[in-house]
Amino acid sequence: MTPLLTPEPAFDRAGLAALAGLLIVWEILGRLQLTIFIPSASSVAAAWWELLNNGTLLRSAGSSLFSLAKGFIPAAVLGVALGLAMGRFPTLREVLDGWINALMSAPLSALVPVLIALFGVRDTVVAATVFLFAFFVIVVNTMTGVRGTERSLVDMARSYGAGETALFARIYLPANTFLIPELYAVIVSVLVVALLCASVVQACERALVRWK
Amino acid sequence: MTGPVGIAIEGVSKRFGAVQALVDIDIHVKAGEFLALIGPSGCGKTTLLKCVSGLVAADGGRIVVGSRTVTGPGGREASLVFQDFALLPWATARENAEFGLLLRGAPAAERTAAARQALAKVGLAGSFEDAYPSQLSGGMQQRVGLARALAVNPQVLLMDEPFASIDEQTRRILQDDLLRLWSDERKTVVLVTHSMEEAIYLSDRVVVLSPRPGRVHRALDVPLPRPREALDVRASAEFARLVDELWQILKKMQ
Amino acid sequence: MKRWLLRGTPLVAFLALWQWAAWVPVSFNFPTPWQTLVALSELLGSGALLQATATSLQSLVLGFGAAMVIGVPLGLLMGVVRGVGRVARVYLDLLIALPSAALIPLVILSFGISIVSSAVIIFVFSVPFITMNAYGGVRDTRPRLVEMARSFGASWGKLFTRIVVPSAAPMILAGLRLGLSRAFLGLIVAELLLSPFGLGKLIMISRSMFEHDKMFATVLWTLVLSGVALAVLARVETRLLRWRAG
Repeated sequence: MTPLLTPEPAFDRAGLAALAGLLIVWEILGRLQLTIFIPSASSVAAAWWELLNNGTLLRSAGSSLFSLAKGFIPAAVLGVALGLAMGRFPTLREVLDGWINALMSAPLSALVPVLIALFGVRDTVVAATVFLFAFFVIVVNTMTGVRGTERSLVDMARSYGAGETALFARIYLPANTFLIPELYAVIVSVLVVALLCASVVQACERALVRWK
Repeated sequence: MTGPVGIAIEGVSKRFGAVQALVDIDIHVKAGEFLALIGPSGCGKTTLLKCVSGLVAADGGRIVVGSRTVTGPGGREASLVFQDFALLPWATARENAEFGLLLRGAPAAERTAAARQALAKVGLAGSFEDAYPSQLSGGMQQRVGLARALAVNPQVLLMDEPFASIDEQTRRILQDDLLRLWSDERKTVVLVTHSMEEAIYLSDRVVVLSPRPGRVHRALDVPLPRPREALDVRASAEFARLVDELWQILKKMQ
Repeated sequence: MKRWLLRGTPLVAFLALWQWAAWVPVSFNFPTPWQTLVALSELLGSGALLQATATSLQSLVLGFGAAMVIGVPLGLLMGVVRGVGRVARVYLDLLIALPSAALIPLVILSFGISIVSSAVIIFVFSVPFITMNAYGGVRDTRPRLVEMARSFGASWGKLFTRIVVPSAAPMILAGLRLGLSRAFLGLIVAELLLSPFGLGKLIMISRSMFEHDKMFATVLWTLVLSGVALAVLARVETRLLRWRAG
């Protein structure tokens, strides 16, 4: 795996300027009233503020978060477990690696109609989709982490008599969590941004509707 | 544990796939002896050390540390010291020094006491205890590695090129500290190194391994007086002569 | 031989599980693997599947091709010209973090319901990853190598073609693979949600007519198709990057 997100601060001065520029262009386009489909940034912000105040936003964010968690938590638990096992046992890796990798990069959204056929209920479908999207990525990342764990740390622990359980608990797990706070940062920021965007889209709709 | 123990390596062979790494190695390390293993890269000296620690299973032959035949890692007689220190980056110096005891299930109070004591022995008492490895220099990191090895109070230290990635000045200081520790604690030491000066300066006997496949080529006794750290042995003519003798052996082996 | 047997076991296990799930049945109208296979051969025989595939691939080639042609040079430029990188990164990070599907309404409004809008969605899905990887590849160039080349008096152009581009190549190619995977995702999302063409249309039609076996067959076909495309790209990547260890 190649690192996709580099640990450089995301919003330095140039970044903030770029964001500000985006907002200004958006506002101008909106004010020009080229089409009714581009509401100005300020009107979207106003609508957003209103949604936030009357609680609609929090309620929908809450329910999105809940179905997200219902899919993500099992994916994280099972994915980390399988990833650790695959990193540790070459035979298991040999058997599963190709499939997991293929599924990680497969267009799993094609499965959504299948999931709907299977589960019917909307909430379960969302959770199942989140599970599928997160599971394989987590497996692969965990496995990569375990395999990248320094050989000498493993040797060191074994030389003091560490068994499989102790190796997992004392070396592999901390080496792959403590060392990559970026992973948490990415997960949290993706979730926050996803929710933000969902709410922005909602706000856009609100702004559009009011203009009509 | 009381008193140093010897190590018997008898007829040990090891093959990795098509590569014969070690053939029929016979080495007896006396209790309390400081033995250096030297040889060109690929001679299997690190593999041999891993066999003694049990991390690598030998294909043939037998290794006895003290009275225990080595069958796997985790023996209580010996501690390893690693070339790259093998410190947990997420643990402080003290937590790292405690790690061996932690894995052996020692209670917290005992661990802390032993780790503190070991850190003091290697000259890292006080505020360094709470530093993370990344905040320590290479030399200090290896001191922590040494403290971890000492904290479990082993009878044998197995050192795999412990000072290879440390700068020359610091290395000399660490070598002197190691000699001092060794004469205070009377432990058996097996040191893998590629430095001729280091082998001669530290050890009682140097075993030269030849490469591909690794065999015992020769052994060279080092009759330099001790304590060498106090006697300025490095400056002596005898030291230079022994280093040259070792060089002649290694050179002819090519 | 033994290796392939080992790798085949998950497939067998999956088929067994599927067969069992259809047997119970977990859900009404859940086709067995065999029924799905029969439906697949029917769809292939009638030509409907191949036609849909051709349509889908058309927008894929259009969208992914554009993403490749624009993304890689843009990423390289971002890596070389610091200011461009710092500004463009923000927009690309936003695009990556945004649920790209949220942009679909906007794209449809601008381009209408056509193959072009599928292609645009595919482009939007894949271009940030391709660009960011090329950018990251340039930024990860080992400074030591640059110094070495400059010590020999390398010109700016030589530095770029002989050091920077080869250094970035592994990440660029990895980005293309990631981008292709995202392109397939975009294709399916676009065709399922808004612009009914190709494979997505076939899936939705069989779903609405309760021909679940055909739907399963098309989904399976789509997954295999993307799997094959990605495997081919991975093969090309290994070939091009022979110099890498392991």
